[in-house]
Amino acid sequence: MIELISIPFVQNALIGGIILSVLLSVLSLFIYLKSWSFINVGISHATFGGLALGFFLGLSPTFFGIVFAVITGFLIGYISRKGQIHEDISIGILFSVSMALGVILITLSPNYNTDLFTFLFGNILTISREDIYILAFFTVFSLAFIYTFFDRIMYCCYNEEVAYVSGINTTFYYYSLILIIAVATVLSVKLVGVILASAMMILPAAFSNQIFWHYRGILLLSIFMSIVMVVAGIFVSFYFDLPSGATIVFLYSSLFGFAVLIKKVLQKV
Amino acid sequence: MNILQIKNLTVEIDKILILKDINLEVKKGEIIAIVGPNGGGKTTLIKTALGLIKQYKGSVRILGKKPEEAVKTGKIGYLPQKAQIPKNFPFSALDVVLLGLINKKMDKKEKIELAKRYIFFVGMEGFENHPYGKLSGGQQQRISIARVLVSDPEIIFLDEPSTGIDFVAQEGFYDFLKKIRDEKGITVVMVSHDIGVVGRFVDKVAGLNRFLHYYGHPRGFFQKHILERLYGSDVELVIHSPECVTCEHFHSDFKGEK
Ligand SMILES: Nc1ncnc2c1ncn2[C@@H]1O[C@H](COP(=O)(O)OP(=O)(O)OP(=O)(O)O)[C@@H](O)[C@H]1O
Ligand SMILES: [Mg+2]
Repeated sequence: MIELISIPFVQNALIGGIILSVLLSVLSLFIYLKSWSFINVGISHATFGGLALGFFLGLSPTFFGIVFAVITGFLIGYISRKGQIHEDISIGILFSVSMALGVILITLSPNYNTDLFTFLFGNILTISREDIYILAFFTVFSLAFIYTFFDRIMYCCYNEEVAYVSGINTTFYYYSLILIIAVATVLSVKLVGVILASAMMILPAAFSNQIFWHYRGILLLSIFMSIVMVVAGIFVSFYFDLPSGATIVFLYSSLFGFAVLIKKVLQKV
Repeated sequence: MNILQIKNLTVEIDKILILKDINLEVKKGEIIAIVGPNGGGKTTLIKTALGLIKQYKGSVRILGKKPEEAVKTGKIGYLPQKAQIPKNFPFSALDVVLLGLINKKMDKKEKIELAKRYIFFVGMEGFENHPYGKLSGGQQQRISIARVLVSDPEIIFLDEPSTGIDFVAQEGFYDFLKKIRDEKGITVVMVSHDIGVVGRFVDKVAGLNRFLHYYGHPRGFFQKHILERLYGSDVELVIHSPECVTCEHFHSDFKGEK
């Protein structure tokens, strides 16, 4: 274990993973409160199209990923806000198209195999120092924003119409959160990949709510548990030579399933 | 001065006419009740006044401003109709009431003290730290009312505030509203289905079913032709329901007054 930690790319993976844990678990509270898992899954699928386009053009996949993620995020947000419908069929088609386009573009590129796998399921060996700087900067910025406007954002989560009537600019907070979630999705690609990025934004709060009912407890336990799971997942994946993202999400999901089971059993007793 | 002024308001949603040519004025300190059948447009009227429905013809002025400007003053309170709260909603009752103080420049301790006082006013002392989602419908309603009132609003809109509140407590609730109005001069616009009870507490009744069929003192409201126009064939239902008794009671009250 000590030897592992002294390897630079393991260090990068751990540092990146821990920063990301904090960011994603905080976001998970809002996604959980607003039942945004659909928006979240949509964003991560669309991200793949962007990454692939950047890759195909030989330009920055991250940049194109962010552009695609933000546009889809706003579009899904806009439609689900306008209509009463939560899951619009056009949205489903939209991000499936982006995903399909991504697969085609990647396949057309030379040496696509490893990259396809990386985009889909992550590869922590590719996390660079530069990635960590970008991630750290974005995390500090996002958390500062959320900290500053926490009460207002929570008011929107409680009831958007009531918050609006109380003079809160609900539209601004709505799209700001979507923007943050979209960028966070792209930044978590190297750790867990697009497919599993949304799991990392849904599992923390869902798990913590099995144990704590109050948002303060949920928030703290989410952060703690995500860090534990990511670090554990990274080590397990190194030892058994498994993909890190899948390992982390598998461990986390198992823990969640276990918590639900225990709770059911305790309620029966 | 009219704290709420609605002129020639027409609202269509998806090409369906919901409200037509509504004219309504509410003066500061008045308590008015909007009554009418289900689907009559009561909620729509309130939402339009609050800027939540932005597509309408006619003019709406609240606190002398357009709705979208007026909400920014933080002087308007709103209790929506049956907000569906999930059981695992991670707020305590106190958290919900504290939301009402979001625009206030006070320190946290003062806010908590004030919020607790209002929780006491609505008869929910002891429930401060309970999960809001696990309270009963009526208890949630009381906490929401505390949330609305703690913000010290100038005008409040209550969409069926007595939903879930037990019948015995209802009269107490209206008395409580009246007391708050007398003390603070708050204007109250509420939607209600218990027209019998409401009739005895409010200054004006607005009978709404797409058109505003009646707007004025409750005394003039309980007439067969008005009720018939408002509730259509359902009028029998209204007259021969428990409210019927209160209607009678209500009529005799006012006979005595004259
Ligand atoms: N967003 C919407 N889209 C389509 N129709 C709507 C919408 N909101 C309201 N309506 C329609 O407008 C009419 C009035 O609805 P509203 O909710 O204002 O009635 P209400 O008087 O509050 O009824 P209730 O007593 O049941 O609360 C109804 O026919 C309803 O179907
Ligand atoms: Mg209604």
